[in-house]
This record gives sequence, structure tokens and C-alpha cells, in this order.
Amino acid sequence: MKITLTLNGVERMLACEPHESLKTVLRREGFYSVRFGSETGETGAAAVLVDGQLVSAEVLLAAQADGHSVDTVEGISPGRGLDPIQEAFIVTGAIQSGYSTPAMILAAKALLAENPAPTEEQVRDALTGILDRETGYVRPVDAILRAAAVLRGEDVEPVQAWLVPALTGPEAAGPGDLTSPLAGVPTSAPRVIVSPEVPETNVVGKPERKVDAVKLAKGRPAFTDDFEMRGMLYAKMLYSPHAHARIVSIDDSKARALPGVHAVLHHENVERVRYASGGQSYPNPLPYDQVSFDNKVRHVGDRVAAVAADTIEIAEQAVSLIEVTYDVLPAVFDELEAITGDAPVIHDEDELEGAHDPGRNIVHHMEAEVGDVEEGFAKAARVFEDTYRVHQVQQCPIEPHIAISYLDSDERLVIRTSTQVPFHVRRMVAPLLGLPVKDIRVIKPRIGGGFGAKQEMLIEDVVGHLTLATGHPVRLELNRAEEFMSSRTRHPQTITYKTGVNSDGVLVSQSMRIVGNTGPYATHALTVQQVSGLRGLSSYNTPNKRFDCDVAYTNIPVPGAYRGYGAPQALFALESHMEDIARELGMDPLEFRRMNWTKVGDPLDIATRLGEGASDLEVVPVITSSGLEECVAQGERAIGWHRGKDPAWVAPADRPHIRRGIGFAMCMHGTAIPGLDMGAASIKINDDGSFNLLIGATDLGTGADTVLGQMAAEVLGVPLNDIVIYAADTDMTPFDVGAYASSTTYVSGMAVKKAAEEVHRQITERAALMLDLDSPGEVELADKRAFAADGRSVGLDEIALHSLHQDQQHQIMATASYVSPESPPPYAAQFAEVEVDIETGQVTVKALVMAVDCGVPINPITSAGQVEGGMIQALGYGHCEEMAYDDKGRMVNARFGPYKIYRADEMPRIEAYLVQTMEKSGPFGAKAIAEIPKDGVAPAIRNAIGNATGAWINQIPFTPERVWQALSAD
Amino acid sequence: MMAMIRGYHRPTTLEDALAVLADSGAVALGGGTMVNTISDSEPMEVVDLQALGLDGIRADDDRLELGAMVRLSSLVDSQVVPAMLRELAHREAPSTLRRAATVGGTVAAADPESELLAGLLAFDATVAVAHSLGSENMPLADLLSDPSQLRLGIITSVSIAVGGDAAAHRTGRTPADRPIVMSVGHRGDDGTLRVALTGVAPTPVLVDLDSLASLDPPADFRGSSDYRRELARVLTDRVLASLGESR
Repeated sequence: MKITLTLNGVERMLACEPHESLKTVLRREGFYSVRFGSETGETGAAAVLVDGQLVSAEVLLAAQADGHSVDTVEGISPGRGLDPIQEAFIVTGAIQSGYSTPAMILAAKALLAENPAPTEEQVRDALTGILDRETGYVRPVDAILRAAAVLRGEDVEPVQAWLVPALTGPEAAGPGDLTSPLAGVPTSAPRVIVSPEVPETNVVGKPERKVDAVKLAKGRPAFTDDFEMRGMLYAKMLYSPHAHARIVSIDDSKARALPGVHAVLHHENVERVRYASGGQSYPNPLPYDQVSFDNKVRHVGDRVAAVAADTIEIAEQAVSLIEVTYDVLPAVFDELEAITGDAPVIHDEDELEGAHDPGRNIVHHMEAEVGDVEEGFAKAARVFEDTYRVHQVQQCPIEPHIAISYLDSDERLVIRTSTQVPFHVRRMVAPLLGLPVKDIRVIKPRIGGGFGAKQEMLIEDVVGHLTLATGHPVRLELNRAEEFMSSRTRHPQTITYKTGVNSDGVLVSQSMRIVGNTGPYATHALTVQQVSGLRGLSSYNTPNKRFDCDVAYTNIPVPGAYRGYGAPQALFALESHMEDIARELGMDPLEFRRMNWTKVGDPLDIATRLGEGASDLEVVPVITSSGLEECVAQGERAIGWHRGKDPAWVAPADRPHIRRGIGFAMCMHGTAIPGLDMGAASIKINDDGSFNLLIGATDLGTGADTVLGQMAAEVLGVPLNDIVIYAADTDMTPFDVGAYASSTTYVSGMAVKKAAEEVHRQITERAALMLDLDSPGEVELADKRAFAADGRSVGLDEIALHSLHQDQQHQIMATASYVSPESPPPYAAQFAEVEVDIETGQVTVKALVMAVDCGVPINPITSAGQVEGGMIQALGYGHCEEMAYDDKGRMVNARFGPYKIYRADEMPRIEAYLVQTMEKSGPFGAKAIAEIPKDGVAPAIRNAIGNATGAWINQIPFTPERVWQALSAD
Repeated sequence: MMAMIRGYHRPTTLEDALAVLADSGAVALGGGTMVNTISDSEPMEVVDLQALGLDGIRADDDRLELGAMVRLSSLVDSQVVPAMLRELAHREAPSTLRRAATVGGTVAAADPESELLAGLLAFDATVAVAHSLGSENMPLADLLSDPSQLRLGIITSVSIAVGGDAAAHRTGRTPADRPIVMSVGHRGDDGTLRVALTGVAPTPVLVDLDSLASLDPPADFRGSSDYRRELARVLTDRVLASLGESR
């Protein structure tokens, strides 16, 4: 059928099918800012304006829009200019991955057209249809309020860090006023507590704009799917409807006979090559318990077959025509039941190697001990023991997994994929496809969020197989239900802590036992549970500590990497346990922890026994920097900690069924995997004195490219916009392990700094030549020039032209790589304020405050954005997100809404504080920040609920019925 | 995957719309937020009602008539719609779906968790359904308990009471979550009290205050049957207290 739209002001007649969504038609016409988020429209990534009103184009038929006007972000600022709304999104740091930014900008456009002076509540309401997994909505809301002010003609202050006086240490003023001193400070101003140890810098430490912000604000084609090729085929997977079954037979004849189908692949026609899908360094940990297509399925959503066809509709129809006969087997879902010895055996194949005890579904068993734990318990004045359970959640990147593969003109396989680990993908996919690494190129474009789900070689083998089978470009995108059931999730665990203390409350012995649940495939199982043990036994000093862990195979959808990587599980248990011990001892929960937490100079002894890279640690690492005391002091003041001790506040007289509480959790994380994570960078000068920075590091929206560019600019004495950044492409950029383990700023950053320092050296040599100096050592770079000590200078553009064209020609360039011998921990204090309805069990989270010591934040805006967004994901983990199943292992809530993630109008107050410390081992003093915000929210909420009601609950999430049950039990 | 929609019609008169329904067994399309997302449907045709002029809100004696194609956002913005129903329409859908979803579509979808439907029940809603043989009015509660009355028909409007007092209380995982159970009460100007609940039956239902204890709510992962029954009692008592009543 034909429809007529007034599209961005131009009348257009377009062809479409009756079933096609407006989103599909707009993307086909090249409006790539309208993006897929979910079939049912809840994410809002596909929002457009229809007759000026914000509407999801995902659930609107193109036919319904016939005769109406449709506006997309492409129409807002054609050419090189920016709309004030786009400008505000950029300067406030409202853009992380930018995947849904065009939708948010349209929401603002519609709102401000109707209401030039909206309240914050009205702004939040306008954003309710656009789910954000990255920013916690803090900066988008502020961006819209700022844009409104600009459009009203008001002056706005530049966005800058808000310097907060320290409350501890020699120069502190002391606690003083307990109320927050920051009333009136814009929420987007990052709150920074400056350390006098940190030297002055020009680009590093400044709230620079993200280098990719303009294209993201303008909705330019930048993501994997924003790319089309002639002859492209659409892939669709057939997934298992059973949790555990053997495939008796597959009849694909009807599917193959369907016109438009090019290939149908399954275990009978794809070579069986064993692998582990976790995106990790070589060699990937055993066991290799997956193949591209198996003759057995082990969870609902497991792979059965893949189809490539001319259209997605034909592919879907072909999938439905594949006839599979299953021999359905009994299944097991719970990690404790799975390892009893009576459970169905999930991996009974002979060829499995490297699993601990597959007959009992135990894939890994780990033990590590420092000192003698039993002796410690025997000497302890009191011993406490408790068990905690943590559940399964999904990362929920708004952009799901998507990959497009094709053969280039040299018949090399190019895979354009939304991945955190392009170099691992290239190495890991090669044997599955029977290709040498040299014949594969992996390109990582902009990524619409990953959070660990994309630290996998998840679908790249499928598109590769289909391209090799057909010779065509092939595109595979998971839909939302598939993203839940057939990608990756967080490991459920059952954790038991046993802790002995002496009569003063000092820890003398601590053991931690974990039974982890990795579903049917190991992928990240070994290292996630190792990190649980490492984090769970590193925060507090004790001479005797022991880790003991079994990881179970079960029939749930596959857990893998998820931001935090085992630490959120461990710290929920640890920070609940420590709270309970303090209470039992009659001690203040902060004082009890303070007496025991690790401080500068304390050893991280369990680190030599546990975790990736542990075997490379020759000496016991020692804490080299900690701002924890300051973090606690800032957080105490910002949350109003004293209120939790006031009975009249806890039980407000005018609201008889409400109790209020405040909870705390201490957090400590790692910074990269020592001795293992490697990043590399290349820098070269251009004719005009600008530089290309080529990095293998993988920015998934965090701002990594920006932060790495700031470091290069700082060393080279140029503004950030003189650094042209390209990442990541296995043909073009040097190696990097990828974006995980909180490593990019620290490891890749040091590689950039080293490469920049070498380029700096070459520039000063050239400057010495040009200025006729005896030694390049007296040359300094600043303001795009090289200065001699006598004040004479040459511009970097003159240096570039001189070196490239004029005399003793030489390309000024350098490549450097870095691997860290250590992993200095960032620290944080997490506080939560809740209200509990004691008749219904409903918990309302009113405020989350986190003060983080991340060393020196290289960019305070992107750093604060990491904390704000991380806290909201962690809030979902502790409060409302859960993957729910029926008794057959079928997920019953594989859709946003039933799977509840927070939206803009129901957010608690969010505040992030950045407490500077000078970490000498890091580039410009930096430590990690990306993952620590995931660690403390769940236990802080738990402890707040306990403070409010006296119910101390050892299982998340704190959904109403669970809390009601706990309150009813008292 | 979008629904298997094989044909699209946009008639300009009710007669034409009913004729298409009768001829092709097509499905009436309000905003499409529901119909367009049915992924496991049989192939179907749709009749888009947007050109039938069913998008007015008008006072009718002591009641208010809401056209079937009134968007939820129009309810929210209306100055004449009772405040409680404006609030419930606002809670019904987020900003991107509220401007597409319609009053008639909300009734036809009969979502058991719809707070707006419960609100309409409490406001004594009747539904006008046009058939080829004429139009009939039926109480919303009757339509929800027997949706077959909608076959080959088109909802043209929903009539509600105005005036009186109303209150609602709910329990959900988060403030904007679709509630596990929600209770809404309306006491009309004539003193008639109606209380409706979500989350205790396959559709929102009007409840008899004396028989809350005999409810048998369907359980799901968010709430067992016992818990939902307890919420029904607690929340309804709060509604009554807000209205100055008691059981």
C-alpha cells in the first residue's frame, strides 16, 4: 500500500505493507535515529513525533500515520548546527551510549513546544516512555530543564564540577552542619571532593564534552544496524521450547522449500567445534561445553537452528516450518538441587573436558585459604553464620545483541557487531567457522549499552556461518524476549558466611561458601565466582579467611558477565552479614565496619589465591590509596544518616502504616585484572598538528573514548578536539582485551599515556631541530605549540609539516601497550533511604547516595554518569527486577513492564560524590569507577528496611510480597 | 515481530466500518498499542477507527460521554473528566504510548491490571457498542465478564458518572509499576459507593465489600493468591477510610 507522510516538513509518498511499523518504514527510508528497543514499544527508542505528539513508532502501523506529519531528530538540525536541546544534552553529559537520545530529544521538543517552563515533574513525565539503562535519568532531566531556560532566553551557568570541601583529613572543616550543603546546585554538576595531592592539569579532570556526543545527539547512523548492504539476508533463530531435551530429529525440508530462504543451519549440517563463549583472554577457561548447534538443548531459549532469508518475515515463517522432534528430559533449575547427585545430568557427552564433576552437575570447584579458619573460629569470642540468596536478572541493554556479517572484496569475513570484546570475538569465532584469524575482521561501531552481556562471542558465529553458507551479507538481531532468554544474565548464588570476632568486635576468622548457578554453560562461571570470593573476602581485614565454591550446571537461561561480575552478589551477602553482626554485638554499624575495613598499607592476601591473574602475583598486593573515610563522611551528611536513629522519624506519627529507614553498605572493587588485561594505543600526527588516536578499547557508551582522548590531549598540549579517535576495528587498531573488569581508564589509559609520551618525545626532538636547541629536554608542549626555555616556539602544525614534508622526513607516531601488575581498589560508601508500608510490604526507595573514591576522575561528568546509572541498575537488582519462570523453565515476564526497570518519574533522589585520591599506579591518578556503583545498593536497601522495620531479609529482590512475608513472620 | 496484519482499512463512516468487520472478520484498531503487538496472532485485517470522529468528550445530563477514540493523553489533559480518572489514565501508559492508546481500546483489551478500567467500573461506566443492527448500551462490568458481546461490534463511547468523591490505593513493586492489586472507590452524588479492584480476577472487577474474604485471585510471580486477597482487604479499607466510610 501507499501512504503519504509529511516527513520532517516534506510531503513524501511511501510504499509499505499493512503490517509494517512506522519504525520499519522510517528506517528503510534512512531515518536511522528511530531505533529498535522492544516489539511492544516500552523502551521508546523508536519514539517519533506524530502531529507534534510523542508516539512510539514501534507499535504504530505505518498505515496509521498515513496523512499525518511525522518528525524525527534528523529534521531538527539539518547540516552542522545543533538545536539548543541537543546542545544541552551534550554539555550536561546526558548522553552515554546515545542509543535512545534522539527519542529523548524529541520528547523534550514536544514538551517544550507545549510548555516552555516545565517543572522537573513534567520533564520526568515526558520521559516516562523512554527507558534508560545508563544515566539514571539525572542528566537527561537536567538537560531538558537547561534547554528550556536557554529557549526562554535565560542565561545558564556553564556545567562544571562543584567542589565540595572535605569533611575528613587534616584540612577538613569537620562535620559541622548535617544538612546537605548543596541545595541549589544543578543535579548535573558533578560533586568533587578535591585532594591537595592531585596536580593541576589542563584537559584531564575537566568536564569535557564526549567526543561522540554530536553524532549521537543528531541520530546519525552510528550503530551496528544503521548500515545496509545490497543483497542482505535476515537471520532468525529457532530456540528450544524445552528446558532439557535431546533432539531426536530435525526436518528442515519445508523451511528450505519456502521461496526466499537461503540457508537453514543446525547440528546436522554445521561442524561440531567445542568452545566457551565468554569473551576472555587466551586461553579461555575450560570447559568448552558449547558448540554452534548441538543435538541436545539445555534451557528454554537454547539454540536449535538458524535461517537466513530475503526478509525477516520469510525467516520467521521458515523457522516455524522447521519440524523438530524432542525427547524431553527432566530438568533442574535450582543450584542446590542440581548438585545433590540425584538431579538430571545436564552435560552427559563424552567429549566434555575440564568440568569438575559433570555427573553431579558441578562444573567448577574452588577452595582458597589464608591462615587457618577453623583455628580462628575456635579462638573467636563469638561466631556468626548466615545464608543469603541472590537471583537472576538481565543486563537489558536497550540495543539488543545484533551482528551483520559480509564477505569483502578479498572474500575476507567482516563482522560488524555490538560487542565489548572485538579482538576476543575475532580469535574465538575463527575456529568455529574454520577460518584463520587473518581472514576475519571485526568492527565495533557505537554500542547501545552492554553491561557485560556483550562480553561474549554470542551470535557472531551464527551470522558468520550463514554468510559463509550463502555468500550474502547476513543480519541477526535478537528481539527483546530472545535478549532475555537467549543471551546472558547475572549468576544466581547461594552464599553462606561464617565470621568469628574477638571480644572487641575485631574479625579473627571468616569463611565464605558459594554455590553458583551458571545455567547449562560455563562461559564466565569460573571467573565470576572467583571475583565473588575475591571481593567477598577482601573488604575487611582478618588473619584467617577461606573461600569454598561449587558452580552448578542447571537448566536456566545462561548467566555470564554482568557489570559487577560476582561482586554485587558477594557484597549483598557480606554487607548484610556485617550489619547483622554489628547489631548482635550492640555496635554502631559504621564503627564496627570501620574497625575492620582495609586501609592504606593493608594486604590483599586472598588476591594471590583467587581470580584471573592471581598466579602472576608474586607479592601480596597492598592497598595504596583509599578515600573511604571521606566517602563515608560525605555520604552520611548527604543522606542525613542521623535521622535513622530518631524513632520519631522512623515511625512518622501522621502515617501509621509507614516506617522509614536508612541503610549503609561499604563497597570495594578492583581495577582491571592484574597481569592479564592488556590495552594498546597508536598515535600519529597529521599535517595540521592534530592527532589520530587508534585504540582497541571498546567504548560502549561510558565515555571511554573521551577519557582516553583527554589523556592524550593532556600529554600533547592540545585541546581534546585535536585528537581524532577511532576504535575499535581488528584491522585498524591495536589490540585491547575490550571493555570489562573496570579496566579501560586504568589499563588502556596507561597505554594511551605511554604512546602520547613517546609522541611527545618525538615532537620535542623535532622542535629542538627546528629551533636549533642543544637538547629536546628543554621543550614543553602547551596550547598546540612547542616552547623552548627562552620563550621561542613553533606550532605543532609547523612541526607536522616540517617532519612530514620538509626535512629528515619522519612520521611522528608511536604505539604503546600496557598491562598492570596491580589492581588498586576503588572504595565507596553507599547509602539508601526507604519507606516501608508495613501492611502491604511495599518498599519505596526515596534516596540513593554514593560517594566514590575512584582516584582522580579523568572526566567528572562521565564519572558521575557512571555512578548515577550504575546505582539505578543496582536498584533494579535489589528492588524490583527478576527473571520469573513457570515450572517448565519458561520465562513468564520476558517483556519490560512485567520485567520492571525503573523509569524517569519514579526515581529516588540520586546523588553521586567523587572523592579524589591520588593513585600513583594509575594514569593521572585514576582508578576504576564503572562497576563499583553496582555493589552496594541492594545491601544498603536491605539494611534500610531493617532499620525501618526490624525485618532483616537475606534474599533479593525486596518485592512487596517478600517483605510482607518477612514482616508477617515477626 | 508485529502482528500478522494482512489488510488495513480506514473507513470514514461507522456503517462502512461495521461492513468491513462483517465481511472480513477484521479487528477494530484504536491506537494499536495492543493489537499491533500480538505476536502469535493468526493473519488478520484491521479497521482503523481514527477517521470516524469518535474522539470527542461531551457532557450528557449528569454523565460524561468519552468517545472510544479519545486518547488517554486527552483524558489526562481534560478539564471535565473527574480528577481520579485523569490520574488513572495518566498511570495507564507512559508518554510514548499514552498519546496512541484509546479509551475504547482500553475497554476492548480488558487487561486485568488496568487501573483505568477499574476506575471506569467504579465510575459506573456503560459502554455503547455499535452493531450492524443498531447500537446498545451495556454496563462495563457485563462486557468484561462476557467479551463475546463485542463480536462484530465497535465500541463507540464510554459513559461515566461525574461528581462525587473518589479514592484509590495500590501496591506495586515501584511507584509507577502496574499494581499487584489496586483498589479504587467512587461515591456518587447520590451516595452510591462502588469499589473496583485490579489483580484479583481475570479482569478488573467491581467488588461486594462484604465478600472480599472470598475472593480467589489468580496468582503470579508478583503475588500469591493469599497475598492478593490480603492486599484487596488492606487497600479497600484504605479507600473506604479516605472516603470516610467503613466496611
